[in-house]
Amino acid sequence: MPASDIVGRARGRVPTGLLLVAPPVALVCWMIIWPIFSAIARTLWLPDPEGGRQLSVATYTFFFTDSYSLNNLAITLWTTGVCAAFLLPICLSIALYLRFADGKLAAYVQGLAIFPMFVPSIILSYALIRVLGPNGTVDLLLNSVGLPKINTPYLTPWGPVIGLVWDNIPITVLILLSGLGAVSDQSIEAARDVGANRRSVFWHIILPRITNSILVAISFTVLGIFSAFTLPYVLGPAAPEMMGPFMQRTFRDLNDPTTAITQAVITFCFCIAFGIFYVRSVAKNRKA
Amino acid sequence: MAVLDIRDVSKTFGSVHAVQRFNLTVADGELVCLLGPSGSGKSTLLRMIGGFETASGGQITIDGEHVTRIPPEKRPTGMVFQSHALWTHMNVFRNLAFGLKLRRLPRDEIRRRVEAVLDQVGLAGYGQRMTHQLSGGQQQRVALARSLVLEPKILLLDEPFASLDQHLRERLREEVRDLQQRLGITTLFVTHGQDEALALADRIVVMRDGRTEQIDPPDMVYRAPATPFVAGFIGSMNLIDGAVQNGAFHHAGFTLAVPVADGPAILAVRPEALDIVQASAAGAAHVHRVTDFGAHAIVDIELGDGVRLKSQVPDARLWKAGMAIDLQPRAFAVYRDDVAIHRADRA
Ligand SMILES: Nc1ncnc2c1ncn2[C@@H]1O[C@H](COP(=O)(O)OP(=O)(O)O)[C@@H](O)[C@H]1O
Ligand SMILES: [Mg+2]
Repeated sequence: MPASDIVGRARGRVPTGLLLVAPPVALVCWMIIWPIFSAIARTLWLPDPEGGRQLSVATYTFFFTDSYSLNNLAITLWTTGVCAAFLLPICLSIALYLRFADGKLAAYVQGLAIFPMFVPSIILSYALIRVLGPNGTVDLLLNSVGLPKINTPYLTPWGPVIGLVWDNIPITVLILLSGLGAVSDQSIEAARDVGANRRSVFWHIILPRITNSILVAISFTVLGIFSAFTLPYVLGPAAPEMMGPFMQRTFRDLNDPTTAITQAVITFCFCIAFGIFYVRSVAKNRKA
Repeated sequence: MAVLDIRDVSKTFGSVHAVQRFNLTVADGELVCLLGPSGSGKSTLLRMIGGFETASGGQITIDGEHVTRIPPEKRPTGMVFQSHALWTHMNVFRNLAFGLKLRRLPRDEIRRRVEAVLDQVGLAGYGQRMTHQLSGGQQQRVALARSLVLEPKILLLDEPFASLDQHLRERLREEVRDLQQRLGITTLFVTHGQDEALALADRIVVMRDGRTEQIDPPDMVYRAPATPFVAGFIGSMNLIDGAVQNGAFHHAGFTLAVPVADGPAILAVRPEALDIVQASAAGAAHVHRVTDFGAHAIVDIELGDGVRLKSQVPDARLWKAGMAIDLQPRAFAVYRDDVAIHRADRA
């Protein structure tokens, strides 16, 4: 076929293709890209006393020198890390169980594991308060058998951790389960056949096949938890607080939009960093 | 020296009796084929020997040692699965070395053994290939090598070549046979293809619905099928449902003298043992169609009631559709209540 034909045909296809991708691209630009740039601009072009605007990193300097802001960032990172550390082993165990067990019990476990997905965060928060809060169900039960009350996690950093872990179990389990689906029964049986016990099968056969799924799951949850709002707002302590509630309070209660946007930009940068880490490790795994 | 002994082994899945009171002894160095239609319990039986299913009843011993309750990783068996089940994240060398590493063998020894086995299956120099860079036949060879490298006492193969094309299947079948005889390894080979079983086996176990129909060397299974099921399953066979009366088998105008008591019976005749002659009068049957294969021809015969039979004849040109004929079986068997009550061979 002559080259001109190919070019001609390709040229004919361009407008249709562009038209097809145009709406989503435009929507992304309008709803995501533009607000990001405008937010960054608004935190860097600050009003000066003469009524004009000038370039300044004052809001960022303030954030990174203010111990209260830094504590909030630290508690956010801590919460995210602790949640991920709990989620991975918990969800991996559940996913492994669901992948290899069958029968009625497995169906119930699956239902239970997925259930939190259908519970709005706010309902979940109040449910946790009723159960684990002061004079909650656990306290009442302990009291009825004459035991002392628990040290409630409500309004401590562990409150959001418990809530966020529970809230993120479904998506993590589902992602890991889809990864485990790619590991065939026969490849596992073949490993048992050559002498691998359950632990060796897990380390040498299953784990190498699901590293991508683990990365995806961790990235999803880390991104979500880092910018979580409802659960830390309702269950967490007043200070230090996670970035979500911190931004909201700076914006609404302190009526300081510029500082709030600065906090948002910093949060966004962390999420971008996680995102880049995720994309790079997935790409590296693809190549290997 | 490895003898496999299976005693009264059963397996039920809920209400499904996959294997029912199965008995078999496989001698040292023997290759036994489990042959049967899909769903007859072949895989289930093999998986019980490999340890992947627990028997509902009965006992399995290898060299006199009970293995029924031993997990697969501790059994001296090696299994080759239908889909090769190679570990795709490892190259060929590591696929073979994995089991040896688990046994904590020294590195040199691992390398030596892996290379020796790769050589035996005709894949010398393929160690660094990833499994997806191999053809289907090569992948199955790797799977076989992965089992052999551990020098198992019993080799188990579950339709290992089912997904390969006919030509490759025949070649690999021969390679497996050669290798098995050279190593003298006791082997159980599952297949649903009669050709494979006839070509490979020292003995064939014909299975049906989890039970044994016949255990015999290939020629016996072919020449003297124990039941009508085996007769119909192995090779091509004409099975005619009829009745014996006063020393003659009757079916829709066709009669044949048989020395058995009166009663219902099934007559089994292979196409190559069913001679036909042009009928002087009306004849018991007529020619329906003639198919010429060059070296021989197959004549499709229709009996008075429409039942079809096949006869293998040397010359197609002698027969025309519609021709009235008589049937003269040279070798046949008569079955009643699932057992052969009479065999004749007027060769
Ligand atoms: N894990 C299982 N659960 C339930 N039924 C099974 C299972 N494995 C096999 N079966 C049943 O047992 C019977 C024998 O199966 P199988 O041993 O796979 O036959 P084959 O290998 O001869 O085709 C079939 O009816 C099959 O449906
Ligand atoms: Mg099978």
